[in-house]
Amino acid sequence: MSTPNKPLIQIKDVVIGIPHKRRPTLIIVNNANFDINYGEMVGIVGESGSGKTMICRTMIGTLERRGGKILSGDVVFEGQSLATASESDWKKLRGKSIGYVPQSALAGPNPVLTIEAQLAEALRNTGDTKNIKARSKELLDLVKIRRVDTVMKQYPYQLSGGMRQRVMIACALATSPKLLIADEPTTGLDVTVQSQIMDLLKEIRSSMGTAIVLISHDLALIDEVCDRVVVMHAGATVEVGSVKDLEKPRHPYTIALNSSRIDIAEPGSELVTIKGSAPSVGEWNPGCRFADRCSIVQSDCRIGDHPALIGESGTHQTACIHTELLERI
Amino acid sequence: MAEFLLEAKNVSVTFGSGATKVEAVKNVSLTLRAGEPIGIVGESGSGKSTLARVLAGLQVPTEGEIFFNGEPVYKGAKSYTGEARRQVQMVFQDPYGSLNPQLTGLNAVAEAVRIHDKTNKELSETRALELLRRMGIAELDAIKKPRQLSGGQRQRVSVARALSASPTVLLADEPTSAIDQSAQAQLLNLFRGLLDDGLAIVLVSHDLGVIRYLTNRVYVMKDGVFVESGITEEIFNDPREEYTKILLASIPGTLGTAARQKLQQG
Repeated sequence: MSTPNKPLIQIKDVVIGIPHKRRPTLIIVNNANFDINYGEMVGIVGESGSGKTMICRTMIGTLERRGGKILSGDVVFEGQSLATASESDWKKLRGKSIGYVPQSALAGPNPVLTIEAQLAEALRNTGDTKNIKARSKELLDLVKIRRVDTVMKQYPYQLSGGMRQRVMIACALATSPKLLIADEPTTGLDVTVQSQIMDLLKEIRSSMGTAIVLISHDLALIDEVCDRVVVMHAGATVEVGSVKDLEKPRHPYTIALNSSRIDIAEPGSELVTIKGSAPSVGEWNPGCRFADRCSIVQSDCRIGDHPALIGESGTHQTACIHTELLERI
Repeated sequence: MAEFLLEAKNVSVTFGSGATKVEAVKNVSLTLRAGEPIGIVGESGSGKSTLARVLAGLQVPTEGEIFFNGEPVYKGAKSYTGEARRQVQMVFQDPYGSLNPQLTGLNAVAEAVRIHDKTNKELSETRALELLRRMGIAELDAIKKPRQLSGGQRQRVSVARALSASPTVLLADEPTSAIDQSAQAQLLNLFRGLLDDGLAIVLVSHDLGVIRYLTNRVYVMKDGVFVESGITEEIFNDPREEYTKILLASIPGTLGTAARQKLQQG
């Protein structure tokens, strides 16, 4: 398969807000900036409230349904600008070129539809309504569900969490999307199931060439399965780089995240915690929004807008304007 | 003084009967010494939470017995009578559901202090603030209601509430599952401090990283039985049972590397 030399999807200086009738618009993401290339697996990490899920929604066009709005910047999918795309434009993409696996595997599938009906719905979406049953079975095979004939007749409640998540992935793959967005697909699932799901995603990526966005707060997981990592803090992308680049993080937040990882900590040693908590939406100070939690903060960190990413897209980028001080951490 | 602070002997728990009979816990035995951190690790449905509830005095075992300081815990339908009652406290998994939404952190902890110490409002609030401060919750946050607090803060309020009884055993059922990594590090640092103060901790978790970090001994549970138990470090470095190997190999990153190599060697 030929892969064009430009990114599959570009998130360009996106600012997301929630407009309100009486109060001023609440800005929830400001300065999201990254690209995803064809066939690439990219992880997005950040604490709860950092805007990970909001970014997901901009990529599948469900932001407005939830009351959000892209205030400035653009989302470009295969050269098509989507910031002002209408619902009918989105309908041509969502569930077709862009697939989505939601966070909650347990609540994901429609509880009153059998797995067969669920898959049929996804398959009809492709426009091709022939051989739906056979194609459904193929999809279940693809996500490595055994006893396909039994599972087809079952309802979601009869399946385990891991199986339900496989069904959700099968639905998302119905249209052979170019981009698959998985929002914390294994949160709440057991580690053994998690590793099976990750193997499955890796396999889909290599066999179908699907680009995959994996949203997670598990750094170890992202390290293991992704090519590149996007780090978000308080609604901004603060660092972007390959997994290898991120071994030597260049933003104080990523450094702090890394040092609070228990999987690499010596048992019983003092764990490094990040000072304070991420500033809440609506309580952002001028300048870098990590400033209050940063150990190398300088006076010029607190002025102006949140710093943009420094460096060319595709290289190791950081939003820290004082990387020369990083070694003090 | 008994050798073990808390001991489970041949405990089984069965729910339902006939065709719907579920054997959640099957003939398990466990020991806990004073001041010791132990872990119970297993996947969903392995029976670990049921066992934790048995240890906490909340679930009468179908068979077997629990001893606290050598005394049987369950006496008929009652459990943990007298002084033993305050000595074993539990922290639950869900920081969003385990606090009364109407009470501020301060009131929630003060209420528990009043129940255990039978003191007045003023004294109980002073002690509650002290406990919360120790958990890293400042007065400013202590007067907030749960919905205004983050998951990590709520979980620390729950721990403060459990500590209000001055327990000798803290049972923590998946305390870190629902909170962010940084909040998790904070909570684990607190747990370490509590261990230094002599508290024994039973940590129930499916998160092997947390188990490795905090516990000295671990019981690996599958389908209601312990498949392997021993020194945490030894089990992580040299798992014997196939299931333990698979479990460890599933951990992403360096932690699972040793087990993955072992599995590949067969």
